Amino acid sequence: MAAPSLTPERRAATRQGPGRWSPRRLRRKTGTWGLFALMLLVAVVMLYPFWYIIDNAFRSGTQFDRQSGHSLGGWRELFANLPVAGQMLNSTLVCVAAIAIILLVSTTSGFAFAKLRYRGSGIVFLLVVSALMVPLQSIIIPEYINLAKLNLTSSYLGAILVYAALGTPFATFLMATYYRGISDELIEAAIIDGLGYERTFVQIALPLSLPAIATITVLQFIQIWDDLLVGLLFLPPGQRTITAGLATLSAGRTTSIPALMAGSLISAVPAIVVYLIFQRHLVKGLTLGMGK
Amino acid sequence: MSRIELDAVTKQYPDGTTAVRALDLAVSDGELLVLVGPSGCGKTTALRMIAGLEDITSGTISIDGRPVNDVEPRHRDIAMVFQSYALYPHLSVYDNMAFSLKYRKTGKSEIKKRVAEAARILELEPYLERKPRQLSGGQRQRVAMGRAIVRQPRAFLMDEPLSNLDAKLRVQMRAEIAQLQRGLGTTTIYVTHDQTEAMTLGTRVAVISGGVLQQVAPPGELYRRPANLFVASFIGSPAMNLIDARFERSDGGPVVTFGEHRLAVPQSVLAAHPALDRHLGGEIVLGIRPEHLYDPALGRPADPESVISLAIRLREELGSEVHAHAAIGRAAHVDQATADDVHSLATLVARMDPRTEIAEGQTAAVAVDTAELHFFDKESGASLRG
Ligand SMILES: Nc1ncnc2c1ncn2[C@@H]1O[C@H](COP(=O)(O)OP(=O)(O)O)[C@@H](O)[C@H]1O
Ligand SMILES: [Mg+2]
Repeated sequence: MAAPSLTPERRAATRQGPGRWSPRRLRRKTGTWGLFALMLLVAVVMLYPFWYIIDNAFRSGTQFDRQSGHSLGGWRELFANLPVAGQMLNSTLVCVAAIAIILLVSTTSGFAFAKLRYRGSGIVFLLVVSALMVPLQSIIIPEYINLAKLNLTSSYLGAILVYAALGTPFATFLMATYYRGISDELIEAAIIDGLGYERTFVQIALPLSLPAIATITVLQFIQIWDDLLVGLLFLPPGQRTITAGLATLSAGRTTSIPALMAGSLISAVPAIVVYLIFQRHLVKGLTLGMGK
Repeated sequence: MSRIELDAVTKQYPDGTTAVRALDLAVSDGELLVLVGPSGCGKTTALRMIAGLEDITSGTISIDGRPVNDVEPRHRDIAMVFQSYALYPHLSVYDNMAFSLKYRKTGKSEIKKRVAEAARILELEPYLERKPRQLSGGQRQRVAMGRAIVRQPRAFLMDEPLSNLDAKLRVQMRAEIAQLQRGLGTTTIYVTHDQTEAMTLGTRVAVISGGVLQQVAPPGELYRRPANLFVASFIGSPAMNLIDARFERSDGGPVVTFGEHRLAVPQSVLAAHPALDRHLGGEIVLGIRPEHLYDPALGRPADPESVISLAIRLREELGSEVHAHAAIGRAAHVDQATADDVHSLATLVARMDPRTEIAEGQTAAVAVDTAELHFFDKESGASLRG
């Protein structure tokens, strides 16, 4: 809304010393307050679920029913029914492995699509990007049959591969777009300086694409960590992720809301931590390349 | 240090554009050859083929007598300075310069020594730790040069390295590049669209138009003996006056006529243009450099046969000289490349001593240094010089 720097007319207005309640100023003030109120409303709507989770995680079953009083009852129940630490570890393992594959494939192929235009690369790129349009739900059963035939549903590997396959098209698209933004001359300078394409990729393209890599990491982490469907379907009970584990909590006849809330709270922490770590790079990534 | 030879090199892009046509060029050891031509004439393409960044459609490029058509860029041992400088944004000035050496298995102490030396020559010592974005345009340009020098390559290729600088800095850097190149003695091909830059820098200058080489010669010769209309109009500022004229024989001897004007052609000029005879009674293009039109009132004697009277339309005061623009009947239409310069086609420009009293609106007697006339074939545009 209001531009941070003074426009010439506004500067002129300031010089003339307008009255404290000049119409223009009044309009600007009400505008600012209106925006503030709107943002407050949005913030409340967004934060309410968080509050609900925190509030109810610290109750026992009866305290929840009465909606009064707090205790660690929910937490005790959670840890009694779910191998939380083990499942958090499973989540981490699946996430890290899948993201590693996604990054490896998307950076290299994105670079190839952007800088090594080969015969038919446009078509191949289009095919990859069109994979973005396929909803997971429509292919998940054939996918399961395939992986089951390959005997990949009894370990982490199946889920990791499915997550990697789901995340790679968008990541490739993002990386290719990002690499297109790097000038060809920069790549050529490295080639002339004596590097092959592989080294140019590692020494020049990769360091310059850190913001894009950070963006992919955060988006994929949140997506994979929170995913339920693939986790439930492709992982054997012993290797379940925390989200899949939490889902089994509510599968019984009696669902303990406080335990569920406690579990949700604990499972949200890593996503928040990852976001905070990469946030700085994210913002940089969004503004990079603007202006000379 | 090395020789670079291009033999009938042609480049056709996949979309059908022929950017370079049968280019023959030989750059000798230690020479600074300038490729000059209007934008889009194929200079960058030619340079990129020499660097190995672009495949050659046909022809041969050799370095030191060895064909390099199929040699990868990194094995050609050539350094290139890009128009955009192409500095690595995430590396410091020092690392930018040291970058290529690290991948050429140069010893650590040797890298240090060479970078320090380049930084000293280019006055970059205070900035070695900075990132490119923290440098001014001129400093970035120097880093780009430094990156090329530290390698001690067989040749430098420079693609309009000064075009991103402001006019003053450009003149300064131009002189520095010339000195640097002479000091190092490294074979250099320098690309520019600026004819002044080309003339001041080059030991020899190659003029290109539409992917075709027009003429290669030392700057002075290019100026005095342009091979065709394109070179004549491209080199020199203000540009050479080119006029549709007739070559005839009158009672007093051979003359050239245009509009109501008539100039006697001296014997020496006839001797230098043996091909002119074939055009007797026919149309030719007459070329007169602006400085060969002068004010006879200032003392330099003029043969009455070489004085024409011109309606002065504009007097431009430049301090050290005066440009007088005069209307003439018809002017030769030279080439697409210069066709947009309508003004020079419709008028004759004289570059005169600032003391001249010729004024706008006046019809003045202007003398022509007829010993310096140029003649071109109207059809082919080729010079009629022998
Ligand atoms: N990659 C390319 N594909 C097709 N045409 C190109 C390509 N690069 C340059 N051209 C064309 O080739 C001609 C010469 O270009 P270039 O060598 O860049 O000229 P200059 O450097 O003299 O301005 C131009 O007409 C340009 O449009
Ligand atoms: Mg160019």
